[in-house]
Amino acid sequence: MIPFEFEYIKPNTLEEAVTLYERLDSEGKEPVYISGGTEIITLGRLNVLYTGAVIDLKSIPECHVMTRENDRLVLGGCCPLTEVENANPFPLLTSASKEVADHTARTKITLGGNICANIFYREAVLPFLLAESTVTIMGPDGKKTLPINDLFDQTLQLNKGEFLVHITTDISSTKAPFFHMKRRKQWTTGYPLITVSGMKKDGDIRIAISGLCPFPFRSERIESCINDRFNSVEERVSSALQQLPGPILNDTEGSDQFRIFTLKNILSDLVKTLEGVDH
Amino acid sequence: MTNIGKSVIRKEALDKVTGRAKYTADFPSGEMLHGKSVISHYGHGTIKSIDVMEAKKEPGVRAIITGKQYPLTGEEIRDRPPIAFEKIRFHGEVVALVVADTPAIAKRAASLINVVVDPLPVVNSPSEGVSKDAPLVHDNVAEYEREEGVHPVPKTNIANHTKIRKGDMASGWAKSEIVIEENFSFPPSDHIPMETRSATAEIRPDGKVLITTSSQAPFMVKELLSQYFDLEVGKIIVKTPLVGGGYGGKASVQQEILAYLGSLAVEGRTVRMINEREEDMITSPCHMGLDAKVKLGCTADGYLQATELTYLVDSGAYSDKAIHLSRACAVDCTGPYFIENIWCDSYAVYTNHPYPAPYRGFSHAEVHFVFERAMDILARKLNMDPLELRYKNAIKPGHTTPTQVKLNRSTVGDVPMCIEKVKQLSRWEEGQLIELNERTVRAKGLACVWKNSTIPPESSSGAIITFNEDGTMNLMSGVVEIGTATKTVLAQILAERFRMSVNDIYVKMTVDTQSTPEHWKTVASRGTLMGGRAVLAAAEDAIRQIKEVASCVMKVRTDDLEIGNRRVFLREDPKEGLDFRDVVYGYTFPEGNAIGGQIIGRGNYILRNITYLDPETGAGNPGPEWAVGAQVVEVEFDRRDYTYKIIKAISVLDVGRVLNYKGALGQVTGAMSMGLGFGGRESFVIDDKARVLNPQLRTYRPVHFGEHPEYIVEFIETPHIDSPFGARGVGEQGLLGMPAALGNSLSLAAGVELHHLPLLPESIWRKKEGLNT
Repeated sequence: MIPFEFEYIKPNTLEEAVTLYERLDSEGKEPVYISGGTEIITLGRLNVLYTGAVIDLKSIPECHVMTRENDRLVLGGCCPLTEVENANPFPLLTSASKEVADHTARTKITLGGNICANIFYREAVLPFLLAESTVTIMGPDGKKTLPINDLFDQTLQLNKGEFLVHITTDISSTKAPFFHMKRRKQWTTGYPLITVSGMKKDGDIRIAISGLCPFPFRSERIESCINDRFNSVEERVSSALQQLPGPILNDTEGSDQFRIFTLKNILSDLVKTLEGVDH
Repeated sequence: MTNIGKSVIRKEALDKVTGRAKYTADFPSGEMLHGKSVISHYGHGTIKSIDVMEAKKEPGVRAIITGKQYPLTGEEIRDRPPIAFEKIRFHGEVVALVVADTPAIAKRAASLINVVVDPLPVVNSPSEGVSKDAPLVHDNVAEYEREEGVHPVPKTNIANHTKIRKGDMASGWAKSEIVIEENFSFPPSDHIPMETRSATAEIRPDGKVLITTSSQAPFMVKELLSQYFDLEVGKIIVKTPLVGGGYGGKASVQQEILAYLGSLAVEGRTVRMINEREEDMITSPCHMGLDAKVKLGCTADGYLQATELTYLVDSGAYSDKAIHLSRACAVDCTGPYFIENIWCDSYAVYTNHPYPAPYRGFSHAEVHFVFERAMDILARKLNMDPLELRYKNAIKPGHTTPTQVKLNRSTVGDVPMCIEKVKQLSRWEEGQLIELNERTVRAKGLACVWKNSTIPPESSSGAIITFNEDGTMNLMSGVVEIGTATKTVLAQILAERFRMSVNDIYVKMTVDTQSTPEHWKTVASRGTLMGGRAVLAAAEDAIRQIKEVASCVMKVRTDDLEIGNRRVFLREDPKEGLDFRDVVYGYTFPEGNAIGGQIIGRGNYILRNITYLDPETGAGNPGPEWAVGAQVVEVEFDRRDYTYKIIKAISVLDVGRVLNYKGALGQVTGAMSMGLGFGGRESFVIDDKARVLNPQLRTYRPVHFGEHPEYIVEFIETPHIDSPFGARGVGEQGLLGMPAALGNSLSLAAGVELHHLPLLPESIWRKKEGLNT
């Protein structure tokens, strides 16, 4: 049960959402944007998250698109994960999405909600980091579009009052060869011990990781080690492991040592899978 | 036979599948108030202050209870303040209770209460608890009020010590050519029933106390509340509707006490407590952890000679059921094998962990993990097939148990036949270990199981049968419907005796201690034996009355009469007889005279020849029968990644007699799933300050659909003579060997002996790499 009371408002346009945000904020309501709303329930009941007002973005048409425009795929931030999986316009995204939470929860959890989540795995962002997609955000200063890799640093760097509208991806990237592996503490449910997404584009391997650190990331330094074809796979993987950001998670899902052990094997599988595959 | 063995659909099935079934928290709250606990975030500490000022200001708060010294509670030792007083002894302990108009207000107010605690050093395992210089969780356990037969060690963390002294150890070790010594352990975990605990309490102006609770032991709630608070027992009325899974966790009395204290604080108004999942896991009693040491010896040809066992049960901060759990560890301290010389010391040891309730299997899965792993290690040292080692030593009629009970076919069933059958079903002959490729192997692990109950000798069960005007029957038993379909099985037993359709028997699902005859507790796989015998006795009583009326009307002797299909009739000529409808509410003669009156059948059952254990040797008869079995788990293990899948899980159980086939199958596969969860993933992750880091389903995960193996279940039927139609317990046995069989298969697959649960890829990797665990 959520112990605090809050207002619930469902605007129909981007502008309306921003106006509402500004008003509620000025009233001291600490408003938040939501779409699936799962974290309001799960973190709200624990008093980890508080708000006096939620602005539900689901009725805004631009946030709910799933279209192909010329050679680009546009996915709205409010698309539930299961909808994206069923339509399957981006197979790597489908693979990553299918491993998040469970099916029932994914009918509620949305792309934007997962990418902007408080729970730090945010695995839906991995494919977009690799595809070098662009994100369109709305805020008090209007709409703007930016490369996701410029805007995403551990979290999507949104200013006050801004929210994710949709994500645009080149069709060529959605068709690129890929690798996706989520390893858990045990069996097939639960948070990641390690999740690794890989993509081969323009002859090079791209890698993004969740579950290793308290944030998901794509790392150029790791990629340059992995793409150093003069060395053996083992050498490339072990030099990549020298380039990991910190801190490495050490929690109830597993120790830092075991995460690195697991990552090592997954990276080696990734290289073997993607190497030699031609686009 | 028309009803026994059939897969009769449970009586409450339609209500359950349509969502209309009502559990304790589903009843309309009306004018109730709502209670919410404030729980401790420390494992051990002194309470410096509790500031309730802010919480009191919340509109709608009716009472806040803190720090007052209520009577101490606890089943065998009164060591537990219902609300922590002066000291906190575990993470999750109730420190204060808020009563408010709505659940949200209560929760909000609870979050505003500021508890200041001075942390104390913690006891973080039972081994630490018995070590020299361990901090004391209780200053002097011996000073607490306690029941007879409890043996605490003064000024230590030992709440109870049970001894098994069988045979002559010196001669046993002398004959042992091969000896192993191993240590095993696992941390506490939880039951995770779908329905979290819930209880309401109301105290009427005339002193009546009305409790509704999701309990496996409503009659115990009545008895204990009466004892703890010096209430007249007849004034306490406890109701229990359907219970959404108990697994032993709801046999402990804890939340009902809080609801009662809450009601007491608001002039007796009704107060409802509903556990959130976190509280259900750590505040209410959990599943015990264990540290164990086993020494086991056999001859060179594999005959077991002696064993010496030490069990340190993680009793958590309060002893409650841990004393009984530690006693059960001693009673069936080995697997189902005949060993002439046994020495076992089983201790309940205080720690700063959440304290345990019973858990499906009542110490047996825990002891089996230790002993059945040891059997495999011994087999390896002997270079003998572990199945053969078990077959050679299987306990049989004529043998004696660790508590020196001489067994017969009725009491012990057929262990060898279970082993033979599981050998065949698991294709044991194709090999225990098969390499699929350079990384992947398939491995099979075996465990044998047995279980008796250790419930008090005077435990009894009662049943009442009434009739409806059309000759159909109503059945009232104190067995709680916790999801096992026992109430339906009782109806089958009754229908069988009356030779009528089970559809013509209506079962009262709710237990009400004022109107339902007592069934001690719905635990220990004893519903069918005890409840069933009571039902049969009630049936005899009703049949006798029916025949008396009919004999008078028909002018025949009662022993010339038979019953069937809702009629009483002449044996020689079944057409001559009376419909029940004309008898069960009295028979009216044509001229208007009536005889008889409504017929009420009543019956009871009490276990026979159960004895207390001798305090020095443990000798004694603990319970009516052992249900036995053999189980195999087959895994596919990745030797590079240390990940594994459970491919198959097989159970061959001697259940005496299958009463409801699909019901039994459901019980066994459900129990197997639970056992694999306990063995493979479920455990509290506890930090060095004794805080539980994962009291949530997002981080503590039972087996999910899709993670399950193929389940294969076969039943052997060696009747238990005392039981209705020969049935043995079937609710728990499927769980017992799963952690051990999983451990045995993985030890073989990984090529390293595994001693700790849960069996995670990381823990196997650590063992293999020689890292700290």
